[in-house]
Amino acid sequence: MSFGKFFSRGRKEQQVTERMADHIDLLCEACAIFHQCLVSEDRRLARKVPDMEREADVIRREIVSTIYAGAFLPYLRPDLCRFVSLVDEVFDLLQETANIFVYRTVPESLKGECIRVALLNLRMCELLRITYGAMLEGADLKEKKLGLRIYEKKIDDIKYGLLRDMMEIEVDNFWQGRLLGEFIDNLTGISDKIEDASDHLDVLNVSMR
Amino acid sequence: MKLTEFMTTKIEYIDPDATVYDVVERMVDRRIRSLVVRSPNEKDGHGVITARDVVFKVLAKGIDPSQMRADELASKPLFCIDEEASLVDALEVMEQHNVARIFVCQGGHIAGVVAMMDIMWAVLILRARGGHVFR
Repeated sequence: MSFGKFFSRGRKEQQVTERMADHIDLLCEACAIFHQCLVSEDRRLARKVPDMEREADVIRREIVSTIYAGAFLPYLRPDLCRFVSLVDEVFDLLQETANIFVYRTVPESLKGECIRVALLNLRMCELLRITYGAMLEGADLKEKKLGLRIYEKKIDDIKYGLLRDMMEIEVDNFWQGRLLGEFIDNLTGISDKIEDASDHLDVLNVSMR
Repeated sequence: MKLTEFMTTKIEYIDPDATVYDVVERMVDRRIRSLVVRSPNEKDGHGVITARDVVFKVLAKGIDPSQMRADELASKPLFCIDEEASLVDALEVMEQHNVARIFVCQGGHIAGVVAMMDIMWAVLILRARGGHVFR
């Protein structure tokens, strides 16, 4: 049974599904801005990401409130809230990555691969949005989930090379090294969080059958 | 979808006078399946050694990899494609020359490599996206 069709009659349900789409759209926008910020090295762009994260927090609270104000059958509510929380975790990690970028320049030898990871993160968010749309229509998510896993594998491969190259970089002090390590960890960890969110979409989809 | 989104940009190079054993060691260390063999003379162009070359042309024939130079095994020339080329263009070059990987070149410089697996992944991603076109 289609998730969207099943609940389309309820105004609250409609409101929740629309806001969940807005939440993912905002994540795509934040990832695009962060990618642009790495390409252009414009740190002012990085400062926009925390603003978007706060906006996303507002959307998350609104969604959770509406759900517990009576939208959807009770057995579905925890899973819906969990999905929204997982998307929020992606936002948190993106925000931490952007905050580090404000204070820590990415070495030239790592820049190209970091930009590639940021672009793949953006593509994953876009595919997550498509997967969410497909779930609402009751479509099979198998191919979409495979696409997300492929992106994640690609980022994992790049991460291995980044860590290897990072160890050859000389740092001025402990904190510069630590910030760089955290930056790489966070940047490459975003895809894991997106994958977790997509896995949960599958849980929601299955729970409707 | 651009070819550059799916290519591998980390290209590993090895000197022509390195042994095939060095090549194997590098492949294992870096978890890669091909290496570019630098040419001492730029006009000659670089060569490439794949894991398949090592297995079929050296190991299967009982040749000691530490007694063979990398440039003796390397295939030349490298098959290059422009970075603006599509996945279909890349596939055509692969099929035409019966190679499993082609290099993405930009002004005589190697920008990346696209292997069969990358093409397969790209096609699966396109299917997953259902033709949606983003920025």
